[in-house]
Order: sequence, then structure tokens, then C-alpha cells
Amino acid sequence: MSEILRRDPRKEWIARNRLHPQHLEVLAELGGGAASEWVGPNGLVRRNPHVVGFMGPNGLKRIDRSGVQQGAGGGGAAKAATQSKPLVEIESPAFLVAVVPDMAGGRLTGHDRDLLGLARQLADADPAAPGAVLAVIFGEHKEDGFAEAGIDRLLHLDGPDVEGFAPEARLGALVAAEEAWTPRHWLIPDSKLGGADLGRRLAARLGERPATGVWQIEASAEADLGWSCTARGAAGTLDIQRSLPRFALALAECAEPVSDTRHAASELTLPQALPAQLSRIEDLGQVAVDPAGVALSEAEFILSAGNGVRDWDGFHHAAEVLGATEGASRVAVDDGFMARNRQVGATGTWVTARVYVAVGISGAIQHLQGIQSCDKVVAINMDPGCDMIKRADLAVIGDSAKVLEALVALVEQAREEKRNAA
Amino acid sequence: MTVLVSVGRHPVTGRSRRADQDARGVELARTLPGAEIGLLHAGRLDEGNEAALRGYLGMGFDALTLIEQPESSDALPALAEALKAAPPQLVIAGERAEQGEGSGLLPYLLAERLGWPLVSGLAAVEEVSGGVATVLQALPRGQRRRLKVRLPAIVTVDAAAPAPRQSAFGPAQRGRLEVSEAPVAADVEMAEWQFKPARKRPKRLKIVKAASARDRFKAAAAKAEGGGGQVLTDVTAEQGAAAVYKLLKEEGVLR
Amino acid sequence: MLDTLLPILIAASLALAVIGAWRRVRLWRQGRSAPVDLLKGLAAMPRRYLVDLHHVVARDKVMSNTHVATAGGFVAAAVLMVLVHGLGLAQGVLGWALLAASATMFAGSCFVARRRRNPPARLSKGPWMRLPKSLMAFSLSIFAITLPAVGLLPEDFGSWILALALCTVLVWGLGEMVFGMTWGGPMKHAFAGALHLAFHRRAERFSTKGGEGNRSTGLKALNLDDRDAPLGVETPSDFTWNQLLGFDACVQCGRCEAVCPAFAAGQPLNPKKLIQDMVVGMAGGSDAHYAGSPYPGKPVGEHEGSADGPIVAREGKALVDADTLWSCTTCRACVEECPMMIEHVDAIVDMRRFLTLEHGNTPNKGAEVLDNLIATDNPGGFDPGARMHWAADLELPLMRDLQQAEVLLWLGDGAYDMRNQRTLRSLVKVLRAADVDFAVLGDEERDSGDVARRLGDEATFQSLAKRNIATLSKYRFKRIVTCDPHSFHVLGNEYGELGGDYEVRHHSTFIAELYDAGRLHFKPWKGGSVTYHDPCYLGRYNGEFEAPRNVLRALGIEVAEMERSGFRSRCCGGGGGAPITDIPGKQRIPDMRMGDVRETGAELVAVGCPQCTAMLEGVVDASAEVRDIAELVADALIAAPASTGERSQTQEAQAAEVL
Repeated sequence: MSEILRRDPRKEWIARNRLHPQHLEVLAELGGGAASEWVGPNGLVRRNPHVVGFMGPNGLKRIDRSGVQQGAGGGGAAKAATQSKPLVEIESPAFLVAVVPDMAGGRLTGHDRDLLGLARQLADADPAAPGAVLAVIFGEHKEDGFAEAGIDRLLHLDGPDVEGFAPEARLGALVAAEEAWTPRHWLIPDSKLGGADLGRRLAARLGERPATGVWQIEASAEADLGWSCTARGAAGTLDIQRSLPRFALALAECAEPVSDTRHAASELTLPQALPAQLSRIEDLGQVAVDPAGVALSEAEFILSAGNGVRDWDGFHHAAEVLGATEGASRVAVDDGFMARNRQVGATGTWVTARVYVAVGISGAIQHLQGIQSCDKVVAINMDPGCDMIKRADLAVIGDSAKVLEALVALVEQAREEKRNAA
Repeated sequence: MTVLVSVGRHPVTGRSRRADQDARGVELARTLPGAEIGLLHAGRLDEGNEAALRGYLGMGFDALTLIEQPESSDALPALAEALKAAPPQLVIAGERAEQGEGSGLLPYLLAERLGWPLVSGLAAVEEVSGGVATVLQALPRGQRRRLKVRLPAIVTVDAAAPAPRQSAFGPAQRGRLEVSEAPVAADVEMAEWQFKPARKRPKRLKIVKAASARDRFKAAAAKAEGGGGQVLTDVTAEQGAAAVYKLLKEEGVLR
Repeated sequence: MLDTLLPILIAASLALAVIGAWRRVRLWRQGRSAPVDLLKGLAAMPRRYLVDLHHVVARDKVMSNTHVATAGGFVAAAVLMVLVHGLGLAQGVLGWALLAASATMFAGSCFVARRRRNPPARLSKGPWMRLPKSLMAFSLSIFAITLPAVGLLPEDFGSWILALALCTVLVWGLGEMVFGMTWGGPMKHAFAGALHLAFHRRAERFSTKGGEGNRSTGLKALNLDDRDAPLGVETPSDFTWNQLLGFDACVQCGRCEAVCPAFAAGQPLNPKKLIQDMVVGMAGGSDAHYAGSPYPGKPVGEHEGSADGPIVAREGKALVDADTLWSCTTCRACVEECPMMIEHVDAIVDMRRFLTLEHGNTPNKGAEVLDNLIATDNPGGFDPGARMHWAADLELPLMRDLQQAEVLLWLGDGAYDMRNQRTLRSLVKVLRAADVDFAVLGDEERDSGDVARRLGDEATFQSLAKRNIATLSKYRFKRIVTCDPHSFHVLGNEYGELGGDYEVRHHSTFIAELYDAGRLHFKPWKGGSVTYHDPCYLGRYNGEFEAPRNVLRALGIEVAEMERSGFRSRCCGGGGGAPITDIPGKQRIPDMRMGDVRETGAELVAVGCPQCTAMLEGVVDASAEVRDIAELVADALIAAPASTGERSQTQEAQAAEVL
């Protein structure tokens, strides 16, 4: 497009004439979408303060200059910023920091990212001789953010041997990696998702004493590897200060995840193929667990009934369709509608569900104590003033039976559509 | 089979007690019909420890084998020797101790030393027959995985394993502690560490890293999330249900 | 012919009765030994029977008179019968006296018959239905046989057929009344009951010439140091012999059943059936012949046992199911009502002790609570160092600092409970207003051991008690005041056996004393109608019915009494660890109690126990508000009238700061 500014006198005229029927349209056209700014005839940006702003609490017009109202302009810039994270490439690392992420569900977990952050701390400590972070992952994955997570080298081991619960095969692979590259550090998440198990196996096999439950590291001149760490011991009741050994099993939030840089995440392969192993442990696969049979304290998704539930058949049906574990308030249990082992609360079971749907539960203090550690609480209740509503992240005031019915209909409809689509 | 038991420590008062996970291990062993169960402990015998160890006897045992070891010594050689001398089919252990380092390494080191397979985090032992045990491993969120493991093997129990039965006073008092000797291996490395009561870990701050000053300002000025959720009043049942459905979908609990 | 037949019959029946008695005694002697002064007991028996037992029976006037006529008539008739017909001393006044005695007995038996026509549900049926007929057979045949002896009828009146018929009736009467008394049958209660009164394991319950008996409600300690002594009761023969004797004394009147809160709530407990099961177990057999109300939800005839067989099986069924024993709230309503002075609660706790100490089978949250008590000295598993957090702003004087005080305020585990903390704050305000010199133990206090003991964990109880006694022995104080009747009972009645003797007051008693001494002044009551719920451990256990009512009266409250109040008060369901073992029933005990409150139309129910407060406040859609007496008193406090001077005004100002 040429640099010469083209003028349309008619539009300029309309733009000046606030009474013209096409006034706003023309302004919008000139301003490229927003009616509040446009390029004036001399190439200057003109602003019309009359069309921006909002009515303040006492009836006066207010203009927010923080930029919130400036339209869609900001978003694009932010997006561009994520893409323009600087790429850090370490061509010839002085040493390697090996990380074995859990990759639960085929993706890096928050815990994995924290660990990678810790690995970066170790690798980047000395700018003169930077190390590289090596991640060893097993099996198929769905992750595409290895570079953003701070991984320089990626060893991806695939195949039927390492799928499922295959600690012996995975251990063999890690030992091979150790022999091939001898990383200066091994960092493994101390997590139930597999890291805790694999890390201890590896350390035991290589005969090195690991630090477990590490949650903090500090540079230390006295230590062999230049770092000291703080680890939890005695079932979380002690802090042990010790020098950081080669093998560390670290807790979640041990470090900040990487967020500023991108890394190469270049694939590595083992110098030689893994020898076939005869496994003494056979994985027969995951067992289908009936949500109704899951212990309340472990359940992920709980549909809980209280005094306000009248239609019990409907409630049980809803729990079945939603695939939720059933819970109950004390009153529902006392009245004999639910079994005693389904009682949620300080006097029953303390639950840890991610989603807790309270149906017709007013929220006695004991009950609210019992659901303290739930992430999302949904309340369906008639009484808008009850304590459960105050606790809930989402509350629906209405007849619980009808809401559940509608919810069941929605879920079934969605499943139907999915089936048809498939 | 043998259950390795340790002296636990109550999280609130610090009094010694039977360790929760080891007690679950004992309970797991008791669920197997016809199993011959031995209890094995390596450690110091004093008044507090004895009361705690008698807690296991109170679960219905006549005797417990105690390999006497001084405090803060490495129990591994003593246990390995004892197990090698009379190898059981299955060794059950808790995941980690409630005192000392509590690294949870002992079963792994034992397995490595004895050359036995190890399965961690069991919820149940379903069957032991023909030199093979079928076990259920606990996964997070109440999920289970079925495994077969060649015996002899070492297994550790998960918190999802059946809760231990009450320890009864009568059998606990009557049971015997059979004390035996074993060579002592001092834990040299541990002597160099510093132990402190656990400090509360700082809550992770939400650090906003933004490219521009404007983004930083926006993040700082943003209203804190939470503090009273969304309340839907005067909606039809369908609208309410749709809102709930949306949340369930976002949280990914619908399958 | 009768002259020869009668002495033979009488002698034969007496001989059979002796054989029966020997058999019965042998059954009782299966039990463990118990220290009882036999002669002294026998000497005290008539008084215990005539005074203490009839004091209970007399709560039902008609039944009491019936029993006096029937039993008195029978005893007189039986003695005279032996003299007149057995030994042939028919001359003179004896024969006439026998006529009068048998006539009185007949009159009594008519009333017994009338009651049996439409018996209330609590009465047992079965053999008991034939008792009035047997009574009549005995009294009528004695009467008829005596008529010729005194000369009212000619000696040879009627034919030999009539005489034979009369003899047959007499045999029936003698069989039931004399032989049946010792061998077994409804009349067994007279024989066993008399001996039970004589050899009762709580002799101190009975009045003597010197004065009233005490309530003797504290449980008896187990000897834990003796490794060979069985812990608790596993088999019927593990009871002491006089306990077994006591079970045999049961008349199956069902008064216990009628007052039992667990039975009313549909939990599987019926005190009468439990005692009968023990009788069945003692002799061996099944409960199929039991003819009263069963345990709710448990049909009769499925359980059996023997003297040396287990009462509760580890698996399957034996004599009694464990949930029956765990349903009891230890409210002692059954013991209070029992005309035969049977100690149900002792027996239940004895059996619980075995379940907990030997089986390790305390149900539901029981094991967790006991573990908490062992590890943290409180049932909730809270940090012992956090016991005084509720009072951080009150600056309560600590015994540790003062070493002595007039009153030691025992806080109890309610210190961890937010609801009870309000009561405690109120009590502190009242004590400060009355200028009482008091101090608390603070973190040195532990659970009193009440719950552990009722759950059968004698070991934990004794451990807690001994440590508490050691702590208390460090300090000097005149009396202990507590707002928890359970601690009150345990400190006052059960620590003594372990070496801790204290003068303990419930806060209501103490407030009443303070008021009487003119140290508290109240503004007039402006609220609605109020009723008062007697806590079991204050009322029935310790006989304190009046002090709380006096306090309420002093506040200007006229108590609208519930139908069941005072010694008949219905339990809130919170005692004996019942909320912990939590045996399901058809309804909840506190709901029933709140129903009682509703019937009075009261807007507020005053209580004096943290357990009662918690249980009654847990009732959904309650019609009345639940307040502790201490709270009501604290709200009504005013400065002393001007005449008593300025001093109390400053106290009032102090007190105001507290709340």
C-alpha cells in the first residue's frame, strides 16, 4: 500500500457532523472497528472521549485509562510474546541433569514441571559451563510443550516393554542411560504416580544413597556436588539438611517451573538397544473400579446428598449416570437413606474430591470441615442463605430433584451425540 | 510370610506407637487365609519402643522377632541376614518409616540385596498360589492395577490398604518379644545430617512474568479469584443444570 | 386320708425344693469368686427387701399393693401350712391365721390375674401367664384344705373324690410355688431375688438403720497387673457368682425395657432380654423359650450359649451380638427402675471390656477414639498443647503458677469443642462475678477417661486416671468444679479406687451454692418457657436433681417439666460412647428427647452437660434452643444491689470483659 494518505472529504464531513445518520458507522470505519478512535485527516489519531467510558456508581461517566477498555488490541501482543520466548540452546553441555518425569496421562504434570525447573537451576548455575537437562520419558505421550518446560535433550523410550507398570524394563533403560551419559544429577519426582517407585529402584540398583522428599536446594561450597538440600523425613515431620547427592527424589513445588525460555528438546537415542528382560512382575492391566465402591476419602468426584433430597431414586440414578461416588450428610445417614460409611464430614469421612456436588446439604460446620480439601464445590439447594452456598464455587438455587434430572438429561444427551459422532 | 514392622511416631504428640503403614501391612497379611505370619523388627528395645511393638502383638500375635540394634544404625544388613536365614514367601513392609530418615528405601535395598522382585503401593493381596502372588496395586484416586509377581517377593503397602484392626490390650501384654542379636552396621552418612522439626513450607506465590509493564500492572491490579463463588438464583432447572454440567466438563470428571 | 397325704406332699415338695436349690446354687457357683459377707448379707436382707426393694416397687401403687398381698400372704401361708398340715398343729389360732393368709394371697392373685388379662408389652408372657392361676390354685387349695382343720367343715366333708381333686390342685400349687421357686419358673425370682439382695455386689446401695444408701454408680476397676486374670467377661461363668445370682432374680417385669432409650430408638438392645440371655447362658441352651419383647430387629431363637461358651462370637452368632452391647448409652435408667436391683450397666461394661481388651473389636470410631486417647490424651486427637487456645484472651489462672486455689476448674474435653467453649466462657464469667478463687490445670489436664472406660478400655482409663491423679496431687485445692457431668462422675466416684479422693461439684451445684451465699445476682427472666433436661451422669449417677432446678428458679424461670424428668429422665444418647460406636436404630435418641421437649412447648431447653448440648443441638428442625445453665446464668448476671457495695460492681466490670 502506498504511503500517500487518501482523504475522503465526504466521510470527514460525516465524521465531524454528529447529527449525521451515518456518523457512527463512518467513525467505526475510520477507526478500524472502534468508534472511539480514528485516524484524522493529517494522519493523527483522533479520540472521541464521549463514546468511551462507563457510568460510575454515582451516575457520573468514568473513563478507565488502565487499558482494559481499549478493545481487542492487547491480546495479540501477549500471544506474540509467548512465541517470542528466547530460545536457549546448549550445544556442548558441561554435564547433564537427568529428569525422569511421571508423564501421568501422557503429559507433563505440575510436579514434573517443578522438577524441570529444579533441573534448570542445577544446570544453569554456572553460566560459564552450562549443563543440559535430559528428560527420560517412557511410552506414548501427548505433550507438545517439552521445549517450554526447559528440556534440552529428550530420551524417548517407546515400545511394549515399557508400557504400563514395567518397573524392571524402565529400570534397565535408566541404567543404560546412566552408563551412556553418566549425568551429574538424577532428579525424579517423589510422587505416587510412579516416580517414587522408579527412583528408589534406580538408586538401589546403582547402589547410591538418594535424598528423598527434597523440597529445597541451596548452593553450598562444602558439598561434593556444590549443593545442599532440605528433605522431608520421618513421614513429613522432620526436615533433614544434607548435601545433595547424585540422586534426588523431589517433592512438588521444589522449584518454580521454567517460564521465560524455550529449549531445544532435541531427541537422543541410546547408543545400543535395550536387552530383552524377563520380567518377574506381570501387569494384568488396570482394574475397572466401580465409583460407588471407591472409598470416599479417595474419590475424585462425589455427589453428596443431604436433608433436602426427597427423590432418592433420582439421586442414585444421577450418581450412576454421572459416574460419581455417593456421599451423604449426617442427617441423610441418620435417617437411614444412606449407609454410615458414606457420611462426609468431621464425624464421617474427610474427603479430598476434586469436585464435590452437595445436593440439598445446608452445610453444618462439621460437614464443611470434612470437605475442606475439595477443589470445586457445587451446591444445589433451595435455601440461598445456607452456609454451603457460601462455600460453593457454583451454587444453583432450586429444586434439587429437577436440577439433577436436567443434568442427567444433559449428560445422556452429550453421550448420545458422542456415540452418533463416533 | 513376614511383615517388617517399625516403631511409629504420632504426628501430633510424637509419642511412639505402632506405625500406621506397617500396621496396614500386618492387616494385609491377616486377610490371607491360612498364612503363617511372622513379625520382624530391627531396632532398639526400650520402654517406649516396647509399648509400640506390643501394639502389633495386640493385633492377635503370640510373638514378635526383634533384632536388637542400637539407635541410628543401619537395619539393612541385620534384616537381610534374618530373611536370608529363613526366607519367607512374601515380605510385607510399610512404605516408609515414621521416624528417622523415613526415606522408604529399605524395601528396595532389601529387594536388591536378596535379588527378589518388589511391588510397591499394594491395596490388597488377592491370591498366593503356585509361587505367584496376584496383587492389587493402588493408584491415585481409588484406581487399581492388578499385577502378578513371582515369589519370593517384597511388597509395600499403600494407605489404601485395609485399615489396621484395633490393637487389643490383652494379647499385647501377653505376647512375647523374641530378642535376637545381629551384627551392627553404623549409619555414618546420616550422622552428618542436621535434623530439625519440619518447617511449614511456604505457600507458592503466583509470580507473574509479563513482557510489558501494562501486563504486569493488569496482573497486579486483577481482583483476587475466589472468595464467594457464583450463585445462580431464579434460574430454571435446565439453566442450573447446564451451569453445573459446564463445570463438571471443565474439571474433566465426566467420562 | 388327707391327714396322711398332706404331710407327705408337703415334705416331698420341700425335699424337691432343696434339690432345686442345690442345682440353682451350683449354677451360680460357676461364676468367679467375689468377696461377700454372707452372714451380714443375710441379716440385712429383710430390711433391703422391705425398704429398698419396695421403695422401687411402690412407684407403681397398684402393683405394690398386689405384691404385698400376694407375697406376704404366700410367705405366711407357706410357713403356717408347714406348721398346720405338715406338723399337725391345727389347733387354735394357727388354723385361722392360715385361712386369713391364704385368703389374702387369693385376693392378691386376683389382681395379678387382672393385670395379666391385657398385659402391657413390656411384660413377658409364656410361663408368666400361668402364674396367677398357680397362685390361685395354691391359695384356694390351702384355704379349702384348712377349712376342716379349723372345724368350719366336718372332717369327712365330701367324698374321697373331692379330696383327691383338692390334692391335685394342691400339688399344682406346691409344684409351682415351692418346687418351682428353686428349680426354675416364674417363682424363681423369690428365691434368687432374696439371696441376690443379701449378696448384692454393691451392698452400699442399700439403706441401713444408720441412713440412706448411696447411689454407688462408679464402675469397679479391673486388676490389670495380674497377667492371668481374664480381662472382662467372655463367658457367662466369667461373671462373679453374685452377678449370676442377680441375673436369676429378674422378674421380667420389663420396666427396664420401658425406659431404655436404645430400645425405644429401635437399636438392638433390650435390658430385660439381655439379663434373660445371661440366665440362658448360665444354664446353657437357646433363647427360644424367651417370651418377652426381643431385641429390636433380632428374632428370638437364633442365639444360644453355654456357661463356658463365648457370649459374643468373633464371627457368627453366640449368646448375644456385639451391637447389642454397644447400643447401651450407660444411662442407668434400667438400673434405676429395676425392682430387683439388678446391675445391667455393670454387666454390659464387663462384656465390653472383653470385646475391647481381648478381641480388639470396638466398633466404628471406637478404635480411633481409643487410639487418640492413648496418643493425645483426648478423644478428638487434638494437640494436647492446644487445650487452652480457646481461653487465650481470658488469662485463666493456672495451677502451675499458683500451686493452690480454692476451686480447681476442670474443663474437660469440651475445651476443644467450639460449642462447649461458649459454656466454659460463661462459667468463667460467673465464677469471676462471684469472686471465686479458682484456677485451671491448663495443658496438664487430660481426658478424665470416662469414654475409654465406658468403651471397655480399662487400660487406657487407668493410665489416664493415674496420670491425672498424679497431676492433681501436685496442687492444693478444696474442691473441683466442672461443667461436664461425665468428668464429675469419674473424678468423684471412680478415681477413689485408684487413689484419688476429691470433693467434686457440678457447676450447677456450685452456682446454686454461690447464689444461696448471696454472691450472685440475677436480673429477672424475660424469655419464653423453659424446660430442663437432666443429664444421666448428673441425675441418676449422682442424685443431683435439685441444684440445677434451684438455679433456674433463682433466675426466675419456672421449669415446664418433661414427662420423663428427674430420675426418670430420658438419655440424650450421648453417654457410654454411644455416639462413637453409633449402632444404627430406627430413630435417633436425641430426636426422641427433643420430641419430649417439644411436648412441653418450651422454647428453650436448659442442660448441664456438653454431651447433652452436642446431642440435642444436633437435632434437625429442633423446636427449642439448647443452652447450658452456665450460659443462662452468665446472661442474667447483674451487679449486686447498691447495698452490697461497690465491690461487686467492679467484679461485674471484670466479668463483662470476659465475654
